[in-house]
Amino acid sequence: MLYLIFYGFALTVIIGLLASWIDRKVTARLQYRVGPPILQPLTDIIKLLGKDTLLPEGASKMTFFMAPIIGFSSVVLASTLLWMNSVNHSHTFIGDLIVAIYLLTIPSLSIVMGGFASANPFASIGASREIKLVLGYELPFIMAVFVPVIKSGFSIKLGQILSFQLVNGAIALSYSGALALIAAVLCMQAKLGLVPFDVAEAETEISGGAIIEYSGSALAVYKLMKNMLFFVLPFFLIILFMGGFRFDGFNFLYSVLKYIGLVVIATVIRNTNPRVRIDQAVRFFWGPVTAIAVIAVVLALKGF
Amino acid sequence: MSLKLKALLKSPWVFHLSTGSCNNCDIELLDCLTPRFDIERFGMVLAGSIKHADVLLVTGSCTRQSVIRMKRLYEQVPKPCLVVAIGECALSRGMFIHSYNCPVPLDKIIPVDIYIPGCPPKPEAIIAGVVKLIEKVKKEKRCEK
Amino acid sequence: MMTREKILKDLQEKFKSDIIDVFDKSPKRVYIGIRPESLRKVAEYVVGILNARFNIATGLDARRHIEILYHFTLEDINLLVSFRVKLDRTSPKADSLTDILEGANWIEREIHEMLGVDFRGHPDLRKLLLSDDWPEGVCPLKADYKEWDKKAIRDRGI
Repeated sequence: MLYLIFYGFALTVIIGLLASWIDRKVTARLQYRVGPPILQPLTDIIKLLGKDTLLPEGASKMTFFMAPIIGFSSVVLASTLLWMNSVNHSHTFIGDLIVAIYLLTIPSLSIVMGGFASANPFASIGASREIKLVLGYELPFIMAVFVPVIKSGFSIKLGQILSFQLVNGAIALSYSGALALIAAVLCMQAKLGLVPFDVAEAETEISGGAIIEYSGSALAVYKLMKNMLFFVLPFFLIILFMGGFRFDGFNFLYSVLKYIGLVVIATVIRNTNPRVRIDQAVRFFWGPVTAIAVIAVVLALKGF
Repeated sequence: MSLKLKALLKSPWVFHLSTGSCNNCDIELLDCLTPRFDIERFGMVLAGSIKHADVLLVTGSCTRQSVIRMKRLYEQVPKPCLVVAIGECALSRGMFIHSYNCPVPLDKIIPVDIYIPGCPPKPEAIIAGVVKLIEKVKKEKRCEK
Repeated sequence: MMTREKILKDLQEKFKSDIIDVFDKSPKRVYIGIRPESLRKVAEYVVGILNARFNIATGLDARRHIEILYHFTLEDINLLVSFRVKLDRTSPKADSLTDILEGANWIEREIHEMLGVDFRGHPDLRKLLLSDDWPEGVCPLKADYKEWDKKAIRDRGI
């Protein structure tokens, strides 16, 4: 229970909001601007909680309000699972890697659900684009996740992957691990809904996409879910490829640097690329990125 | 001042609505988002949909066709919402006051909180106007108490 | 390539009975006044044989008649030819050019709603720019337009 409330919810929220602020500040600096102050993401959420929540006529009430709650709760659960395994490697159970992958797919599907529940043509366009994007990036992501599984002796327990990396060094330092990390970072960019793959929530093109009809508290839950996802996904990648979060002395600083490094990579990719169309995005994921992931899996099977 | 209002003033999301303008005021407004007059440091972000908006920036003299749509849009904004009228055409139709297509000025249709004159107003004037709006809202709430 | 003088001489010879006057304003602009009946003939010739391009049509309310100007460009020699048609003020009628020039469709709708000109043969003569609650027959750009809206506010409130 302690893990759920403290690690799963509170710590994730704080670090997620901080990461979102880092992203906005780095973007502003890259564009020769001054960015927002440090409490800005928190102020956004508090302000959204104080506005009216409007339900569009013709939308189904149940689905419309349950969609953000489902996404939010799945992110909290996934975060709890990952923290439990990081703090104590023996809290793991068989198949918790698969549970984590499933739980991390649900936020995107909740956006789709919310988009189709609002009776709005723009929302339908945004939601259908999001479904196609999910089809695109899930394939190379799962193949990239195969590599740590193979290298740590075909085990699907997160705790065993972490223990293997404690003994033998991070998986990203081998050839197959590095290639798989590259593929996984590109898939993370799409999962987070950042440019160049943010077709589902294209702000100026389809005026908000799947979340066009959300306002007030429901939108606050969505924004909070997105910010928390900004923490949980790089954390997942660090656990799988870079040796996980460690709490002892110098390694703690090193882990924090690893996390900030991933956030900065996502921000830099976000600022130097234009938005791609949905067919270009799916072709990109099923073409080069899957090729990289397949090569990484083959190299891992050979033992590199 | 209540937490709700404080949060509203610290992160107002703007939505830009043009009711038949010559687009000069719109260009000056979009200039405010550029790195030179950066307004993201005040927390202002351009919202994509009207349901995410806190501040409505209205330009243009209200033509007959756009008044119908603007009334519908104003009803869809989640309150509390502030309305800013930018440019001479939004204040009192400016030089189009005797035109056949602009019967009523903006503030007879929706309640306006602050007026920013100019044709078009410079981005510095727009920023000064928004700062005065924030001061006015703070003073109102303190007087109410 | 036909030069400017040759084109003007050619037009004046071919349509001797239709042209009322020719006004040579500048090397780039020529205004040619023609009769309303021969509008279609001249337009067909200019677009078909001389390969000119239809630019736009302008309508205006002179005090005693209503004029429509049709602007054609001849790009190779940098010339803009405007054909001026003077119509009767009480009930202006003209021929529609929509079947030979597809681009004349919307501008004739606009001239119809703003000046009250009736274009014979136009396939779809309805309002283009005015709003749906505008009364029929009231033409805003005519000199005798009166304010019909009782709820309009025309003072600045000072």
